[in-house]
Amino acid sequence: MKRAAHIVKSLFLQELIKGLSVTGRHLFKKKITVQYPDEKTPMSFRFRGLHAQRRYPNGEERCIACKLCEAVCPALAITIDSDVRDDGSRRTTRYDIDLSKCIFCGFCEEACPVDAIVETRIFEYHGENRDDLYYTKDKLLAVGDKMEDSIARDRKLDAPYR
Amino acid sequence: MPEFILSILSIFPDWLQVVLASLIKIIAIVAPLMLAVAYLTFAERKIIGYMQIRVGPNRVGPRGWLQPIADAFKLLLKEIVVPARSNKYLFVLAPILAIGPSLAAWAVIPFSDTLVLSDIDASLLYILAMTSMGVYGIIIAGWASNSKYAFLSAMRAAAQIVAYEIAMGFALVGVLMAAGSLNLGAIVNAQAGGLFSWYWLPLLPLFVVYFISGVAETNRAPFDVAEGESEIVAGFHVEYSGMTFAVFFLAEYANMILIAMLTALMFLGGWMSPLGFWSDVPLLGDGIHWLLLKTSAMLFFFLWFRATFPRYRYDQIMRLGWKVFIPVTLIWIVVMGVAMFLTPWGHLFH
Amino acid sequence: MATIEINGQTIEAEEGSMLIAAADKAGIYIPRFCYHDKLSIAANCRMCLVEVEKAPKPLPACATPVTDGMKVQTQSELARDAQKGTMEFLLINHPLDCPICDQGGECELQDLAVGYGRDASQYNEGKRVVMDKNLGPLISTDMTRCIQCTRCVRFGQELAGIMELGMAGRGEHSEIMTFMGHTVDSELSGNVIDLCPVGALTSKPFRFQCRSWEMQNHDGIAPHDTVGSNLEIQVMRDKVMRVLPAANEAINEVWLSDRDRFSYESLDSDQRLTTPRLKINGEWKSTDWQTALEHVAAKLKVINEEFGADSTGALVSPTATLEELNLLKKLMQGMGSSNIDYRLRQQDFRGNQPAPVLGSSIADFESASTVLLVDSNIRKEQPILGLRLRKAVLHGTQVHALNHVDYDFAFRTASTICLAPDAMLSELAILTQLIAGRTGSSVPDAVSKLANGTEASVEIVALANELIDAGENGHVVLGAQARMNPNYSVLTTLTSLISTMTGARLANLAEANSVAAWQVMGAALDDGKNTADMIAEPLKACLLFNIDPRHDLLAGDHALETLSETGMVVHIGNFHDEALDDCCHVQLPLAAFSETDGTHINCEGTVQSWTAAVNPLGDSRPGWKILRVLGNYLSLDGFDYNTIAEVRNEAVAALQPIDASRVNTEFTVDELPDNGLKRIYDLPLYHSDALVRRASALQGAADSKAAVVLHPDTLQAIGAEEGSSVKFSVGEQSVELTVSSSNIVPVQCVVIPSGVDGCSAIGAAASVEVAN
Repeated sequence: MKRAAHIVKSLFLQELIKGLSVTGRHLFKKKITVQYPDEKTPMSFRFRGLHAQRRYPNGEERCIACKLCEAVCPALAITIDSDVRDDGSRRTTRYDIDLSKCIFCGFCEEACPVDAIVETRIFEYHGENRDDLYYTKDKLLAVGDKMEDSIARDRKLDAPYR
Repeated sequence: MPEFILSILSIFPDWLQVVLASLIKIIAIVAPLMLAVAYLTFAERKIIGYMQIRVGPNRVGPRGWLQPIADAFKLLLKEIVVPARSNKYLFVLAPILAIGPSLAAWAVIPFSDTLVLSDIDASLLYILAMTSMGVYGIIIAGWASNSKYAFLSAMRAAAQIVAYEIAMGFALVGVLMAAGSLNLGAIVNAQAGGLFSWYWLPLLPLFVVYFISGVAETNRAPFDVAEGESEIVAGFHVEYSGMTFAVFFLAEYANMILIAMLTALMFLGGWMSPLGFWSDVPLLGDGIHWLLLKTSAMLFFFLWFRATFPRYRYDQIMRLGWKVFIPVTLIWIVVMGVAMFLTPWGHLFH
Repeated sequence: MATIEINGQTIEAEEGSMLIAAADKAGIYIPRFCYHDKLSIAANCRMCLVEVEKAPKPLPACATPVTDGMKVQTQSELARDAQKGTMEFLLINHPLDCPICDQGGECELQDLAVGYGRDASQYNEGKRVVMDKNLGPLISTDMTRCIQCTRCVRFGQELAGIMELGMAGRGEHSEIMTFMGHTVDSELSGNVIDLCPVGALTSKPFRFQCRSWEMQNHDGIAPHDTVGSNLEIQVMRDKVMRVLPAANEAINEVWLSDRDRFSYESLDSDQRLTTPRLKINGEWKSTDWQTALEHVAAKLKVINEEFGADSTGALVSPTATLEELNLLKKLMQGMGSSNIDYRLRQQDFRGNQPAPVLGSSIADFESASTVLLVDSNIRKEQPILGLRLRKAVLHGTQVHALNHVDYDFAFRTASTICLAPDAMLSELAILTQLIAGRTGSSVPDAVSKLANGTEASVEIVALANELIDAGENGHVVLGAQARMNPNYSVLTTLTSLISTMTGARLANLAEANSVAAWQVMGAALDDGKNTADMIAEPLKACLLFNIDPRHDLLAGDHALETLSETGMVVHIGNFHDEALDDCCHVQLPLAAFSETDGTHINCEGTVQSWTAAVNPLGDSRPGWKILRVLGNYLSLDGFDYNTIAEVRNEAVAALQPIDASRVNTEFTVDELPDNGLKRIYDLPLYHSDALVRRASALQGAADSKAAVVLHPDTLQAIGAEEGSSVKFSVGEQSVELTVSSSNIVPVQCVVIPSGVDGCSAIGAAASVEVAN
């Protein structure tokens, strides 16, 4: 009986017609496309976009070269060299993020004990060659300087949940 | 051909008149065909987009209407990259071999009772011959590219087209049995009498087999294993770029339109109005617009299929072609033959 | 043996041994900070508190002796409460600066805090802050992190022998510090870095360079002394970041000398050779290996044909690996020359050459009952052997020193005799004669002639008696300075006579891989030209294997002069400097010890091989590969090795046995000139080889100070004062050197070190005159 039903089903292409009816119905549904760049979707304060290095209000860079972000990075996108700075403090001599490796998981941000490496809301960045996507310490600090207000606001919003 | 064109042509010597007249006719068919291909791609993107609840291309021109023009320009301006170790002559020859037959087949398509470039008696055979030629372009492209993917794809395409060619041929045997003619115009005229006199009803299994075989023949989803992006990148045209790629593209879409139009001609009464008794009323009566409408409807199915069905596995395609379609058509032809010559129900098929 | 029960597990333990040791042996871990099995028990961290049945309170496992039938719980509620309480107390003042602490990731406190700490402190008051101390260029301090375990203090007291660190103050004010204004200058100071369970004492050269989890460990062998300490070479991104000791009870236990620990710094020195270079018209041009080696081979072939095989010679550094030594010897032999030598700082080549071995195993060295040090500052020559000897002294070994200088050994000597070079020879002859008299042996006439009928002093008589009594438990140690002595053959003869007569073991301690060099070259050393011959007269071609002639050869500047007259000098080495650039014609970059596979044979004869930890810097290549290919280019047979194992197996199979009978019975004394000041040779600890000389942190350490030292009276006599510059002359040459004074030097003598800038102009001279 089952077999007969199966044969009938196949003969009348029942499942194909079912499938066609699904797509057919969707043809008339309301479209959900967001017309980016004219319109944008709302963004969480936890959005993980382009990285930035932050400074303290007195201009001192936050990063202390503990290398926890480098250790936690699952994509091995972060490379850090550290050394003693002239004033005896521990600082990075090199802090590179290869954005072409980065998977934007946010672990670096999570691991940072001093909130030095953060991910900003910037997602519309591009590079015309690989080098442009290799962010050095200077570039990251520049992003941080530019975005500090938004970064600080986002950290504050997130603070109650930490 | 309109009088004023003939009068302009009459200033030329006789032999040139024939050539020019043929050229004008060819352009009159090919130019709208190319435009149709362009907007078929646009329609495809829009329809599939809509079925996926998105809006599709809408940036170039009003509501995206200039998108196909932009695409065409892009392809025209792009560099043609010839792979280093390929066979250069065959590599360039392949797209020409692909598009040649798909345009040539249009020579015998009757657009209305009188509108046909070449009204030959064996036009159905001619169509079959031409559409089977297209595969050579694909095979040569696959071989000349000297690429694994392209070669795999060419082998798949060859096997697939051979398999479905047979089913398609048998389906047409049913049509010619019913119409008693190999001439497409005659086949259409044999379906006179409205929606229920068209062959889709008496030849329903053949109609389904023919159309599905047509989808397979043009390597369209869900039978697009020859392109199979996820397995063999883009198949036979993986090494083609710019205009050479565009020519393959044109050939594929011209074939689609051809199959859709043939389906309309042979099973859906061609330019006949669905309401047989209105055949003389303007607009609602017979006319080329009915043919175009029916063709468009069939093309819509092409796109709908693509939006709906996942790609067949290669062995499933072979099974379907050889073990389902061919027996189905054979049986139906036998049923038809027996019915037409040994039983009193033969009129059902006429 | 006592039977005890720990966590329900019955174990056998030595009665009276500490509970924590018994637990460790059974594989039961008890947390600890102050306990260390090589140090005495302090029981001041209280982390190892455990519950012992019938004891009213938890007891510290490190200070509780095992008694039969004891029942111990290390993880019971009481024990864990006690441990957690201790941890909370320790963390009250410990800063939360793990992210910037070099110990982070390998910190005992951090690890145990995971198991025993709370996630938040209950303590809200301010934390204690302790000022950092300056412990010198090797150890950096963050004293706020200190948990007062006193391991470092105990290491200094008990093992290094100098109490350079101590704990001052009480309660919350107690802190670890040095004596006012002093730094930690011990040659073993780096070990406190390993001992420190927190980040209070960390390595200064390594400071903030990388984190512990980033590095890969590679086993290695220390290249600088004859002990062959086992190393853990830690590497990040193909760069040696740090060197730590690997435990090997038979050799270096768990310790490492600072020289072995910090010399890695010079591996990426600016002076490293990184490409093969040819001198063309006086200009150095970098080239590729093929060109360079073809050039060398072609030149050597021409010289060989034109001037004969004897016109070619090779000087090889004792830091070379066994494989390199063997291939170099084979190369020279293949060319028909036996002019090869590794004894760079020796000037007396008379008679047979004793093997540079310890005469016993390193562990047995501690069991000697009497040790006679001749011309040896063992602590600053072979720091690990010095540590062993100090341990022996603490267990009752009598050490006698017969030296030129009254060295600070960091242990108590039974007697110390310090004499000028000629007087010391006589004293040793008197001792020999005395022992011969007492044991009824006969000695060569030369001994009595040297003794000159002088009456033996009380100390010498006591020493003679003690050595005779000790018999096989005696140990006569000939140090590195002896080798530089112009009467080295006299010293070796006399010491070997003493050891033969008393049955004492004889040690002759040399640098680096000297044992391998001696065992490889064997008879070739006597057949061909030795170092002195090779620098006396210019050769036509000379191969320098990892040698900086100015500093590595005793002849110093004189050697440079000879080499600059040599037709063709090929330098295969790690480094180059101006002097080398001037005197050689081809420079081939050699991979350093961390970059090559190799084999070291130490003073007890242990053969230890290691593999490369990093890739060779730049275009440099391991020595065995260079020599192998050079052998091919010279069309020599037997140079078709594929792997270093083939080279090694061949070398090991061909090693000369260490033959105790290779000692002299006759000698002649080279009379020293009477005028001027008698020279006392010295090889400062941190000037011993090219690698160490370029290690910047070590060069800042106290032991790197290579001073020209005179007795205060002598200084006064020549009319100079401390720190002033004095012009010394040797023959026609003169050089100005800054002098200092100390009464550890005999009068009318001057200590002039070798391997040091400036002093190299003095060369091998045994006496100098003071020019005005």
